[in-house]
Parts: sequence; structure tokens; C-alpha cells
Amino acid sequence: MSIVDAGSAPAVAEDSVARPRRTVDRVLAGNAWMVFAFLYLPILVLIVLSFNDNDRVGVWTEASLRWYGEMFQHSRIMGALRTSIVVAVLSTAVSTVLGTAAALSLERFRYKSQRAFDGLLYLPVIIPDITMAVMLLLFFVQAFDIVLLVTGVGMSRGLGTITLAHIAFNISFVALVVRARLSGLDSSLEEAAADLYASRWLAFRRVTLPLIAPGVAGGALLALTLSLDDVVIAEFVSGAGTTTLPVFVFGALRRGISPLINAVSVLMLVGSILLVVGSLAISRRRTGG
Amino acid sequence: MSEMTEVTTTGQTAAPAPTETPAVSLHAVTKRFPGGKGSEPVVAVDHIDLGIIDGEFFSLLGPSGCGKTTTLRMIAGFEYPSAGSIRIFDEEVGLKPPNKRPVNTVFQSYALFPHMTVAQNIAFGLEMKDVGRDEIQRRVAEVIDLVQLEGRENRKPKQLSGGQQQRVALARALVNRPKVLLLDEPLGALDLKLRQAMQIELKQMQEKVGITFVYVTHDQEEALTMSDRIAVMDSGNLLQVGSPEEIYDHPRTRFVADFIGETNLLEATVVDRRTAELGDGTPVRLDSDAATGTAVTLAVRPEKLGLVRADAERNHDLDAVHGTVDRVTFMGNAIAYHVTIEGGRIPFGIEIRQGNAPGIEHFAVGDEVRVRWAPSSASVLED
Ligand SMILES: Nc1ncnc2c1ncn2[C@@H]1O[C@H](COP(=O)(O)OP(=O)(O)O)[C@@H](O)[C@H]1O
Ligand SMILES: [Mg+2]
Repeated sequence: MSIVDAGSAPAVAEDSVARPRRTVDRVLAGNAWMVFAFLYLPILVLIVLSFNDNDRVGVWTEASLRWYGEMFQHSRIMGALRTSIVVAVLSTAVSTVLGTAAALSLERFRYKSQRAFDGLLYLPVIIPDITMAVMLLLFFVQAFDIVLLVTGVGMSRGLGTITLAHIAFNISFVALVVRARLSGLDSSLEEAAADLYASRWLAFRRVTLPLIAPGVAGGALLALTLSLDDVVIAEFVSGAGTTTLPVFVFGALRRGISPLINAVSVLMLVGSILLVVGSLAISRRRTGG
Repeated sequence: MSEMTEVTTTGQTAAPAPTETPAVSLHAVTKRFPGGKGSEPVVAVDHIDLGIIDGEFFSLLGPSGCGKTTTLRMIAGFEYPSAGSIRIFDEEVGLKPPNKRPVNTVFQSYALFPHMTVAQNIAFGLEMKDVGRDEIQRRVAEVIDLVQLEGRENRKPKQLSGGQQQRVALARALVNRPKVLLLDEPLGALDLKLRQAMQIELKQMQEKVGITFVYVTHDQEEALTMSDRIAVMDSGNLLQVGSPEEIYDHPRTRFVADFIGETNLLEATVVDRRTAELGDGTPVRLDSDAATGTAVTLAVRPEKLGLVRADAERNHDLDAVHGTVDRVTFMGNAIAYHVTIEGGRIPFGIEIRQGNAPGIEHFAVGDEVRVRWAPSSASVLED
């Protein structure tokens, strides 16, 4: 996730104008520009080319919305987009609830084999995507075989398996973020709530949850981003008919770059920017007021 | 404890004086915490019996780590006893969760809900008990008046000073009209001036609302000034329970004598049932059924000792010992003398404190003096 420090507009001291510029200053300034160019030029190129009215990516003819039009007509792209959104929303919702519950259980309760659970919970964060993908694929294949054997019902991979896979890794990330917030929370607040006749549930709803809400929201946002971002795991566990947008783009690229992909990429870019702006707005409302 | 439980049937009396109904009673309560890997469990509270009378201001006093907080938390329900029984107004609560107990707590850190205003914090307990809106408003206003927080109802805890937060914590507990209010070093975070002012205020408030206060502190002065009764604790044990006067004037153990105020510990040997001999052979009166030859320790407070010239006329009502002034400390409101007693195998010292009032003779280093005291001022310690 990007962390943007809002309050740090570079303030140039008045007297620096009069002072002769030292070489170090120039080098640093040049470096800053280069970094910016390196990061944003490709994006700029992508955006510009997505408006290019030509079948070949590299040949500029004239500006048009042709590829955007085609994109919205393209049933496979629209299907993949819908899959992406459904998977992201579902897996975020489920993993936010389960991840928060896992964080609570690790921070607020003591039970046997807690340490083992603690370590295992964070495994999906550290193991490589590709390992996770292979694991999940094997799991689904085996599970479906058993289901077929026992009940005679044949199941296939698709929206359901992608969603389950995303839930599986997102729980860890949500738990990680929520736990950080929870460990900073004075546990005597929950005791105070219980002391004031609140049941466990009411103490959670009225005191704990409002106080960890920024952590929960942060975890949910991270889950949403990770789900929309994922190519490797979705590629493995998706079925013949269903793919997510990143998987579609990846597949399309292997068949050759088409300007249509530029338009899809810009669409995803706009989506990400909206997410970041939205999260900033939320966090500002929370801290400001 | 049994003699207290018998009185519960007498019912409500008109007088606000404390009845003999135990508000809280602990019977053989032990709390063990699991120790670290492979180590012994920590015994935080060791088999204590305690009866707290309805309406009294009761303090648990002891050094840090002696188990005061653990005892209080078991009464509140945040910890469950490993053994023993806890009763609140004759109802066994030992294993009940905190929200099912008729007590409220003022936390050391206040534990105010940071996302709620002062009024919302105070109303929380009433809301949880499903009290009607109008009544909540009325009672919150009433208690805000009691703790003098008018005009700050809509502030968040962060916008209040430490003293004000403390009042909110108090109001949030008192508004529920608990049968027992538990306070864990509630003044610990305040500076000295404010703390002293709050001590008086808390005591007055307790008398006004008539609720039993169980007050945890490690500050002996605080306990002495505020309490009706004090229980002195050390490493999980209850050493002595009594009024501030009893605890101060008649400590039963070395620890209590030493922990509360300053004290002189005089080693003596029992001669007969009414006399003992100090180290230098001076006979002193005492009341003990110990056998002849037994070593005992007498505790005498520095301010209970008088100082006269060695050649002054003897007062046979007082015990006295001969010595030499070897240190004089001027303290403003008092003068402290250190007198060395020689003549025995081991010389020993006595601290004397005399008020700085007109007419009291002053002494200098090297003066030959007699230190004297009423026999009733000396307590025979049990250890
Ligand atoms: N949750 C706990 N786990 C383990 N040991 C504890 C716990 N709470 C208290 N103790 C131990 O119990 C003893 C008494 O603690 P406490 O009641 O907090 O003392 P006090 O309030 O008198 O300072 C201490 O030795 C402390 O380390
Ligand atoms: Mg304590």
C-alpha cells in the first residue's frame, strides 16, 4: 500500500534563493526528477497510447475513444472485470471478518497451541505466491475428487475457488494489520466496559470495534488491493470459463500486445487511484473531524 | 467472619452508621499465576480472609507487588480466584463475570473510552443496564454536578486534564450506584497538590453517597488520612487489619511497624510477665505472656518519645533510658534527635521527634539525656 504523508509540502527557506546552489542540491534535485520520470513516464505513455486510434500499438494516428468503446463491448473483458470485482468484494468481506476474529483471539485470549496458530497464521504472508498457488490447486483437485467420490457431485474450478483462495491469503494480511492496532489498545478499556455491565459482545461492539476500526478498514483495503492485484494464484485456481481481469490481461499479452490492453490497463489504474483517494478521504475524516 | 454474617437479618437502620453486614467477604482466597516456562507459579494472593463492612472506606495498603491489585481485580471479576470464596452482600461471586457483579471500578489509568464524550462515558453503564433515556439524562447530570464537571459534558477525555479525567472515571462508576466501589490507586497519576485535594474530596464524596469504597494504595499517608479501616499486605499475605489508629499505634509485626510511618525497633529480653530488659539493662514495662528469657521487639514511634536532661527528676509513670545526643536535624515543624544508648553489648540508637513549639527544650549534640515514653506507646511485635 502507498503511504502518503499529506502534511509535508516541501517548504523552501527564503534565504536559499540568495545562497549559491551547491552541487549536492542539484544532483539530488536531478535524481528526484529522474525517479519521477522513471515511475510515471511509462504510465503516461500507456494512457496516451490507450487513446490511439490504430490497430498497432506503436503507430500513432489520431486520438479517439475507440479502444474504450471496444473494451466495454468485449464480453470476455467485461466478464473478467465482473469476476474480479465479485471475487474482490466477497473475499474482502469474508477475510475482514475472519482476520479480525483471528487477531482478537491471538491478542485477547490465552489458549493451548496459541503460539503454533500464531506462527501458522502468517505463513501465507511469507511463502511465495507460486507455492501458495500450487498448494491451493492441489487442494481443490483433491477435495473435488473426494466430493465426487462420496456424493457423486462433480465440481469445477471457477469463481468459487478463486474467492476461497483469496480469502485464504487475505485473512493473514487482515489479521496482521488489525493486530497491530489491537496491541496498541489498552486492554483495561475492555475491562472497563465489562465492569460497566457490558456483555462480551456489547463490549466488543461499543468499545473495541470503534477503536480498532481504522485497523479493520486498513486491513480490508489491503485485502481488496491484494485480491484485485493477484495474477498467479487466480491463474492457477481459475477454471476454463472464469478468469479475473489481471489473468485475462496476462493471457492476452502472451498473444501479443493490442491497444485494447492499454485501455484495460488504464481502467485498472483509474480503479486503483479511486481506491487510494477513497482510503485517504476515510483516514482524513477519522483523524481530522 | 461468621459473626458478621449473622447480622444481615437486622435489616436497614435509619442511621447512616455502617451496619455490620459484610459488603465484601473473602474466605481463604488464593490466586496463583502461571510462572514462566518451567518455573513455579507466582502466588500473588496467599490464602487471605477479609471482611469489609458495608459503608466503610476500606484500604488495601502494601508495597508494590504485594497483591493489592490482584485482590481488587478478583473482587471486580477480572481475575478468578484459584481457591477460596468471594461474597458480595452474601452472594457468592467468585466465578461470575464482571458485568454480573454489583460493583464498579475506578481504574488506575482511568480507562476512559477515548471515542466517547464525557457524558457518553458516564452514561455507558446505565445504557448497558437498559435504564430509560430520561432517567439516564437525569442521573448523568446529577453525577456531573457531584464531581463538578458542569460544562464539560461534550468534551472528549483527551481534552481534559488529569484531574478532570479522574473525576470522569469516578462519575462513570458512581452513576451506577454500585454497592461497592473499587479504586486502584486512583490518585497515583496526579501531582502532589492535586492528590491531597482529591484525597479530602474523595473521602467527603464517600461519606455523602454512603457507598463502600475499597481503595488500593501503596501510599501509607493516603491510607491513614482517608480510611475507616486499613488492611496491610505483604507478598500476598494479610498482615494486619484495623483502624488507622490501631495500625499506626499498635503495629503487630515488624513489617507493619516499619512500612507505616517511622518507628524505633527496640530489642528486649523478657524478665517476667510485666517487665523486659533493653540491651543496656534498662528495665521497661510491657504486657507479654512470653517466657522469661525470650527475645522480643518493641516498636515506639519517634514522636511518642520525650527527651529530658539526664539529671531531670524521674517520672515513674514513664519508662526511660539513658543516652547521648549524637545528631540533631532541624525539620521546620519538628526537630529530630538521634540518641545513642550505650552500656549494653551492642549500642543502639533511638530516633526522637519533638514538635517545634515554644516551651520545648532544645538539645545539642553531646548532651546527656533521658529518652522516655509511656509504656502504652510501645507495642510488642509478634515477630
Ligand atoms: N497477570 C499476571 N500474570 C502473572 N503474574 C502476575 C499477574 N498479575 C500480577 N502478577 C504478579 O502477582 C504479584 C502481585 O501483583 P499485584 O497484585 O499487581 O501487586 P500490587 O498491586 O500490590 O503492586 C506480583 O508479583 C505480580 O508480578
Ligand atoms: Mg497495583
